[in-house]
This record gives sequence, C-alpha cells and structure tokens, in this order.
Amino acid sequence: MIIEIGHYALVLALATGFLLSVLPLMGARRGDAALMAFAPVGSVVQFVLVAFAFGVLTWAYAVSDFSVLNVWDNSHSLMPMIYKVSGVWGNHEGSMLLWLLILTLFSAMVALFGRNLPDTLRATVLSVQAWITVAFLLFILLTSNPFLRLDPAPAEGQDLNPVLQDFGLAIHPPLLYLGYVGFSVCFSFAVAALIEGRIDAAWARWVRPWTLAAWTFLTAGIAMGSYWAYYELGWGGWWFWDPVENASFMPWLAGTALLHSALVMEKREALKIWTVLLAIMTFSLSLLGTFLVRSGVLTSVHAFATDPSRGIFILAILTFFIGGAFVLFAWRAPTLKSGGLFAPISREGALVLNNLILTVSTATVLTGTLYPLVLETLTGEKISVGAPFFNLTFGLLMIPLLLAVPFGPLLAWKRGDLLGALQRLYVAAGLALAAGFGLLYAQSGGPVVAALGLAIGFYLVFGALADLWYRANFGKLSFKVAFARLKGLPRSAFGTALAHLGLGVTVLGIVAVTTFQTEHVVEMRQGETAEAGGYTLLFDGMREAVGPNFTEERGHFTVSRGGVAIADVWSSKRLYTARRMPTTEAGILSFGASQLYVSLGDHMEDGGLVVRIWWKPFILCIWGGAVIMMIGGFVSLSDRRLRVGAPSRRAKLAKVALEPAE
Amino acid sequence: MTLWILLAVITAGVSAVLIWPLMTSARPVEELREDEAAVYRDQLREVDRDRAQGLIGVEEAGYAKAEIGRRLLALADKRADAKGTGGGAASRARHRLAPLSVILCVPLIGLCLYLFLGNPDLPAQPLEARLANPGNNMALLVAKAERHLAEKPDDGAGWDLLAPIYFRAMRLGDAEMAYRNAIRLNGESSERLAGLGETLVASNEGVVTEDARHAFDRAVALDGRNMRARFYAALALEQAGRTDDARRAFEAILKDSPPGAAWISLVSEHIGKNGGAPLAAAPTAPAAAQKAPGNPNAAQVEAMQQLSPQERQQMIAGMVDTLAARLRDDPDNIEGWLRLVRSYMVLGDKAKASDALKAGLKTFPADQEAGRRLLALAKETGLSAEGVTP
Amino acid sequence: MSRRMTRKQKRLAVILGGMSFILVAVLLVMFAFSQSVAYFFMPSDLQKAAVQPGTRIRLGGLVEEGSVKRGAGSTVSFHVTDGGASVPVTYTGILPDLFREGQGVVTEGAFDGSHAFVADSVLAKHDENYMPKEVADGLKKKGVWKEGEGAKP
Repeated sequence: MIIEIGHYALVLALATGFLLSVLPLMGARRGDAALMAFAPVGSVVQFVLVAFAFGVLTWAYAVSDFSVLNVWDNSHSLMPMIYKVSGVWGNHEGSMLLWLLILTLFSAMVALFGRNLPDTLRATVLSVQAWITVAFLLFILLTSNPFLRLDPAPAEGQDLNPVLQDFGLAIHPPLLYLGYVGFSVCFSFAVAALIEGRIDAAWARWVRPWTLAAWTFLTAGIAMGSYWAYYELGWGGWWFWDPVENASFMPWLAGTALLHSALVMEKREALKIWTVLLAIMTFSLSLLGTFLVRSGVLTSVHAFATDPSRGIFILAILTFFIGGAFVLFAWRAPTLKSGGLFAPISREGALVLNNLILTVSTATVLTGTLYPLVLETLTGEKISVGAPFFNLTFGLLMIPLLLAVPFGPLLAWKRGDLLGALQRLYVAAGLALAAGFGLLYAQSGGPVVAALGLAIGFYLVFGALADLWYRANFGKLSFKVAFARLKGLPRSAFGTALAHLGLGVTVLGIVAVTTFQTEHVVEMRQGETAEAGGYTLLFDGMREAVGPNFTEERGHFTVSRGGVAIADVWSSKRLYTARRMPTTEAGILSFGASQLYVSLGDHMEDGGLVVRIWWKPFILCIWGGAVIMMIGGFVSLSDRRLRVGAPSRRAKLAKVALEPAE
Repeated sequence: MTLWILLAVITAGVSAVLIWPLMTSARPVEELREDEAAVYRDQLREVDRDRAQGLIGVEEAGYAKAEIGRRLLALADKRADAKGTGGGAASRARHRLAPLSVILCVPLIGLCLYLFLGNPDLPAQPLEARLANPGNNMALLVAKAERHLAEKPDDGAGWDLLAPIYFRAMRLGDAEMAYRNAIRLNGESSERLAGLGETLVASNEGVVTEDARHAFDRAVALDGRNMRARFYAALALEQAGRTDDARRAFEAILKDSPPGAAWISLVSEHIGKNGGAPLAAAPTAPAAAQKAPGNPNAAQVEAMQQLSPQERQQMIAGMVDTLAARLRDDPDNIEGWLRLVRSYMVLGDKAKASDALKAGLKTFPADQEAGRRLLALAKETGLSAEGVTP
Repeated sequence: MSRRMTRKQKRLAVILGGMSFILVAVLLVMFAFSQSVAYFFMPSDLQKAAVQPGTRIRLGGLVEEGSVKRGAGSTVSFHVTDGGASVPVTYTGILPDLFREGQGVVTEGAFDGSHAFVADSVLAKHDENYMPKEVADGLKKKGVWKEGEGAKP
C-alpha cells in the first residue's frame, strides 16, 4: 500500500506543479500578494511530496519489494544495503526521480532561503522552476514511471549492473545532479529577469550563491565520475572525452564563465545581457547532457541500457525550454539597459577574457561532441571524434586562459595596472619555471614542452598564493600585522585563491601523468616479477574468492623497492552471477600522490597471465585539485556578503534597523 | 479501502496547505524593492571596509561609492513610480478563483492520473515477509531454499531437492551447479549423475558431450537399472556414429524395460534409426515427439555433425522455424515454447525470442506455473520481460 | 571629444581581439577535424573504399567465430566480420571484459602496409546485451542481422 501512496504523492506533486506554474506568475504580473505567497508554500509542498515518493521507492529497494518492476529490474536481495539504496538511482527511472527530487529541493530552498528576494522576482522564479518540474514529472509519470508494479511478484531480482555496484558510483549521480540541476535556479532567475524586463546588480548578487553551489557540486560530481572511470573500468585512463563526460563538462565550463560574469555584473552592472544569456546556456547544456546520457543517441562508455522513445520526450523538453528561453531572450533582452563602462585592462576586462575563452572552449567541446551526430544525420557518414581532437583544440585554447588566471584578482576594477600586476607575478612565474624544469630533471627527463606545462601548473599555484600575499601585504608590513590582515580578508578572496590554486594542482597532475607515466604489458607466471616506477612486483599467483553476489579470481602481487617488500596489491576479475557479467577490479596502490595501477588481462595458453601495470606519478593531483576547487567553492559560499541575498538574521535585522532611515 | 481513505486524507491535507496562503487577507504589495536596497547598502559597507583595510585606493573607493549611490537613487525613482499602481477589485475576484482552482485541480488531476497509472489493489510485498509465508509459490520456495543454501552451502539434501526443480525451470546453469554440489556433498548416486548428465545434454542443445557421457557411464555403473542414464549413454554412441553399438544398447534397454514404460516408443524409434527392427507393437513416433517436442532426432543430429558450421547454423534455424510453425498451430505446449525461446536466444535473435516469449505468455499467462517458467527462462537468458508483465 | 574617440577605438580593439580569438578557435577546430577524425567502416565498406595504410579509422563488426588467436605476449589477433567481408585485426593489450567471439566490437587503429589492421583500442561495452550502435545499424543494413525472417534450411 505504501508503494501506491508514494505513486500518488508523485501524481499530487504534478497537480501542485500545474498550480505553481500559473498562480504565482499571475500574482507577480498583477501585484497580488496572496497569489505570490502561494509560490513558496507550493514549492515546499511539492518538495515534500516528491521526497516522500523518493523515500518510498528507496524503502522498496531496501526491503527488496519485487512487486515493483523497477526494483525487480535493478536489485537483488543479496546485495549489500548500500548498493540496494544506490540502486535507486542506478537506473533510468530512479535517476530521473533523483533529478526531480533535487530540482524540487532547489525550488524549496529558493522558497525558504529567498525571503529577502523581492516578492515578484521570487514568485516568478518559482513559477519558472515549476515549469521545469512539471515537464520532468510528466516525463517520469508517462514514460519512465518507477512505480509500475509486477503481479505476481518474482522471487528474486535481476541484480544491479555490476559496474554500478561501487561506492564511487553510489555517490557520483547525486553530486552530479546537484550540479546540473542547481543551474536550473540560475536559468529560472534569468527567465524571470527577462519576464520582468529588468535586471540589475542586485540580481547578480542573488544568483551568485546558486551558481556557486551548483558549480561546486558539479566540480565534485565530475571529479568523482572521472575517478570512478579510472579505477573501475580498468583501463587506467581518467578522462576519455566521451560524450557523457563532455555532457557534464560543458555545463561546468559554461557555469565557470557564469560565475565570473555574474561577478562583473554584481560589481559594475556591466555584462547584463551576456550574463542572462550565459545562465540560459548553462542550464541548456545541463539539459542537453541529460538528453545525451538518457537517449543513447551517442555511443559512450558510460551509457547503459537506453531507450530512444524517451529520448524524443526529453528532446521535446529540451526544445521547449532552450527554444523558449532563447525566443524570450531575443524578444526581451534589447529592453535591458546596459551598464558600467570599463577599460580593456581591468578586472572586468580579465573576466571578459575568461568568459570569451571559456565559452569558445565550450563551443569547441560541443562541436566535437555533436559533429558526428550532425554529420550522420545529414550525410549518413559515420565518424568518431576522439581524444586527439579535444586535446588539440581544447588544450591549446586553455593555455591563454591559464596564463591569464593569476592576473584577474590582481587587477583593479574599472581600470587596472597591467605593469603592476606583472611586477607582482614575475616572481611567481620565475619560481614556476624553475619548479617545472626541476621536476622534469627529477623525473629524469622528458620534452621541454612538459616542463612548460608543469610550469603553468606551478604558476597558477604560486599566482594564487601571491594574490593572498599582496592582499595581506606580507612584503611591506610586519608578519604579525600582515597575518592579521590576512585573517581579515573576506572569505571570497580565499575562495578565489583556493579555486585558482586547485586548478593549478589539477593542471600539474594532468601534465605530470601524461608525461611521466609508464605502462607495462607483461605476461606473468607465478613467481615472476615485473618492474614499474622503480618498484618491483612479484606475482604470487591467483586465488579464488566469493563475494555476496559475485565470484572472483584475485591475483596477488607483492610490491617491493630495493629488495624490501613494502606492500601488497590485489587485482581481480569478477563474475557477477545474476547477470553472468565479468568486471575487472584494478589493484591500486598509492605512494603519496602517485599510484601503481595493476589490472589483469586474459589467461595465456601456457598458464601465464597478461598483466597490465601502470606507474602513474602525481595522478592524485588531478582529483586533489578538484577537491581544492570544491573547498574554494564552499569557502566562497560561506562569505557573509552572499548571504545578503539569502536569509540571514543579521541582514534582516539590518534591514529593519535601516528602514526608518529611508 | 484503507488506501482510498489515506489517499483522500492526503489530498485534503495537501489542498488545505495550498489554499492557506491564498486565503490569508490580501495585503497590498508593500515595498517591492527594499531588498535590493539592502544589497546596495551592503555593497557600500563593503567598499568602506575594503577602503579601511587598504585593499582599494581612495579614488577607486570614491568611484565605487558613487556608482552604488546612483543605483540606490535609481531604485528610489522606480519605487516612486510603482506607488501609483496597485491591486484593486480585480485581484479580489481572482482571490475567489484561485482557491477554487486548487480545490478542483489537486483532487481531479491527482485521482484521474492515479487511476490511470496506479495499481491500487496491490499491497507492498517486502521480500522478507513473502519468504516468511511463501504459500505454494514455487519461485518463492526456490528462493527460500536458495537462501537457506547460501547460508548453509553444505546441506547436500537441499541441493538434491533443488537440482531437479532448477532443471524443470530450465535454469540449466543453476541445475548443473546444484547437481554438482549434491554429488560433492552426498556422494555419487545414479540418480544424481543421470540428472547432471541430462542437464549437460540440455545445455548443449541435445548433444551428449564428453562430460555428460562420463556422468551417464558412472550412473549406469552404479545402477544398471537406471534407464534414463542408459538411454543417454546409447544416444551418445548414436551421436558418435557407432551405429551398431548404439543399436545394441537401445535393444538392451528395450529388453530390460517393464512392459508399457513411457519411453518404449522413443527407444524403439532409435533402434530403427540405427538400422534395427523397431518394436512392431510400439506406438508411432508422434507420441515421442509429443513428449519432447522440437528435440532434434538422431538422424538430424547426425546429419548436423557432418555439416560446416554455417550449414549447421542454417539447419538449426530451419528446425526452429518448423517448431515455431507447429506451435502456431498448436500453442498448448509449454515445453515447445520454452524450447523455441531458448533456440532463438541461442541463435542470437533477440527480437524473435521476445516475440516467442510474448506468444507463449498468451497461452500460458504469467500468473500460472507454466507462464512463470517462461518468465524464469527469459530472465535466465537475459531476455527482457518488459512490456510482457503489467 | 578626443577622449571619446579613444574609448571607441579601445572598444573596437577589444571587439577585434575577441573576433580574432574566435577565428583562431574556428580554424583550430577545422584543422583538428581534418587531422584527428576517424571514419567508421564495416569490413565490406573497406572493399569499396580504398583506405590508405596509416589512416586512422574505426572498424566495427562482429568478432568472427573461431578467429581469435593469442600470439606472443599480449598480442591478440582476430577477424572482424559483417557477414560480407572479414578483416584481420591485431591488437596488443588487454581486451575488454566483454570481448567475445560472435559479439560486436569497435576497434580503432590503422592498416599497416600488408593489409592487416593494427588496432590500438578495442571497445566492447558495459552491457552484456549491448551491440555498438554503429555496428547494429550496419549489420541491419547489410541484412546479416534480420528481424523479420529466419534462414531457410
């Protein structure tokens, strides 16, 4: 019965969504406070209903209720509880429900934390959010309903796809969706601004925390997905420029641009139209990503069973929202007044450069991702655009951006002093070059280009530190005073520095791993050894093992350095019994930021085993940098200035206190 | 009934909460833009703070403050403009309409769509509760036995019980494992070995493999009266092309069989195939064919072995087509359907397998034992039963 | 007045700079497309179209039954077929978990001088029932994978 109540809650959420898409908008147009007050209440009710439905589905998974088709399809009574729960979103229907849950969660958060927004703006934003909610609710209820039942119920489920039975993939989709869907708020704010026909610096201030939150989660989600692909697919690669990866990367690039342009708008009221356009584009790319992943129009290593008929529904949603938003933009944008002027060399100028490069790069990635699809539709020719294309185009385009990053925070608003910034950065640049060549020498050689690549990474790290250094004025003031100043800096300054530093660390990891990694494909028999990265691996043989829902053959390796055994690595091939599906579980051993990666291949006829061993120096820097960026995001998010737009008792009190002065 | 009461309560509750903001007195829109002013004032404070810390210069701070000041002024202008307009009678009329739309929309959309999509009669069925009280649901009983064996994998009697059930459900991989476990734990017996052999034959599309032959030989060695094992052992000889030996073996079976045994006609048919004189009194082939429809007969099997892989594939496809045609005329044959679905899956033709599954389920609905066997087969072979079940 | 002119000129310079950056990006994309795009072929397409040795292509089809041979070390050779033609492929490395005879694969690489295809990547998918999309389409077109009729004996 509880299942049916969950199903009903989802239907009621749709009914609420219909009301929510119309009433508050009418209220905002006619200045009717009661209708506008409907928006927050309705949004919260909708969230509660969807959360209840999601909870019911999770419960059905937890207790293995195979009378629910979706549970039967994707679960197994013997799976560990964590995968039973993560199985909820390890399939199409459930993951769309998670998408919806997060969408309504963001609406509810705008409703609750947006008390300081003007009533009309909040009502319009929540109505636009409700349009998206209604579209996805219809999609879920009509084409991907997770509450369909089986009667009679089978006795055992079909098991979850084994590659999804992994902790990384258990938390990857929620993070990614928090990012994807978070940009819906920016989209709704942009559409609301277009509907209201007015937009100003305060708008940017209100949008910024949502952008920042979405960006932070998306960063985490992408990093998690990349790490998952690295250790679970057993190929040792961490980024494949695969359509599904690109689908999550494009909103990230556009979102990064949005983050920076909203800054310009907040401070200087410039770039208004551009920011609105960027907000629409970012969420459009998120929708496009959902479409690409869910429809299976593009082949991808991450794509699981897909259904084209659903793709058509999502395509319709996509066309409606993207098309509608752009039509609205074309119609209303000319009425928006443009704002402040600035010199090309200024903080604004640097941020414009950032936006230019980021959007052009996004367009490049989009072209590479969609070109095969377009070409096939037009000419029937089948091509694949692979990593070499993206490495060449995206890689080259990023270089000027990376070089410009440290300049941004050092330039003043309106008119900046390029020479001054150069003076402040030349030490960082010199140190970076030295460090780059030093590392190249320490790793016993490599191309000079690699040293320059490493130097760019170091330069970003040192540049971010230099920014804090000069803000606190460490060189001129006594250490104690400077340190006090450092502590007094707004948190957003630390956020910026951390994000830029994290970017540097990631760049370092990427360049180092590409340049210095070594790969050994060897045949090994029991008792034989292989060398990688200065370590010796002794193959001790294979052992059979049985897991809860799989059997595996584990290869055991003893790792030693200089004749001393220091660690063990297990690498295995698993067979998941319910689906009779093999997977490879790589054995990974970390030494600092570097890793030894062992993956098993086929048995040879003479009893040997093909083993693939990689030495991946500094690989953890790639994801470590992403973690630092994420921390930067959260630190910025905690800056008190952003809470003026969001609720804060202090801001409210301040408002009350200031009112009589008006 | 409880469900409907609960749904009604939830509907009423949701409607009430949604109407609540609409019923509160229509206060006029107050200061629309005070919140923006708060942002600008905060920006002013921020400039002051930065200036005090020496993060920006005097001139720069001046410019910034002037700019923010202009924004505040613009805001005040707009506010003055906005004062003129305000809601009147029109909005009050809308007030009566809005709650009405809630009262209509929520129950109407909710119930209509739910009646269209939902299954109000189905209770929740957590697996634990179902296992505790399985009734005579075969699949559940099997699942229960499986769980018991997962906990106590050394219970030979359990495997013994489960193995033939797996075989009948055409879960051949599981059946093989169960027979092997039973043999490992309880020792070899003629029955177990014959069962294992038969499973192996079934999973190899009727061909008696080396492994299977070995099992049958052991079974016969343990119990010379095991006719099933002897039959397959003879079939192995026949498939190996040792016609004379095969004929002698079949004749021996016939001799040892009690009169009126079910297999007599089948054995006699094989004797004929191997050049002997079939038992005159034996009923004719159709009875045998009925017993195992679609099973390739020995001649076909033998012919197949001399074909190239491609021709063999074609021949199998041909036999499958014949079976499909026969089932079209006489669909009341569950073994036939099972075999057809399996064959299509072996041929790699998923679409046809799925069609056959659907056709079979028409005659044997999923809620009957036979239909469940079809579903179990579909599951085992990885065929999606989507669209077949409600 | 002259101040305004310089401002206009500055703006023009910025716009020109932006445009030229976009132009560079477009040229770069076009160059990259000409360099690194791999065309997709089925074995029988290769009989019609002459592919130069050394040109990177993607070759898709089914792994021919009985064709997989393990050579020295981790080198594997097999044939990719689409029913019409068959192309020998060699690959050094670890094959994906789901690589099997009779299953669909997509390999990427180039022909060497002696008409053998040297692959540097072999793709088979996560999903057991998966058939790479290009391969499925191609096989359907060639009639190897028919949905309607069965073969006659």
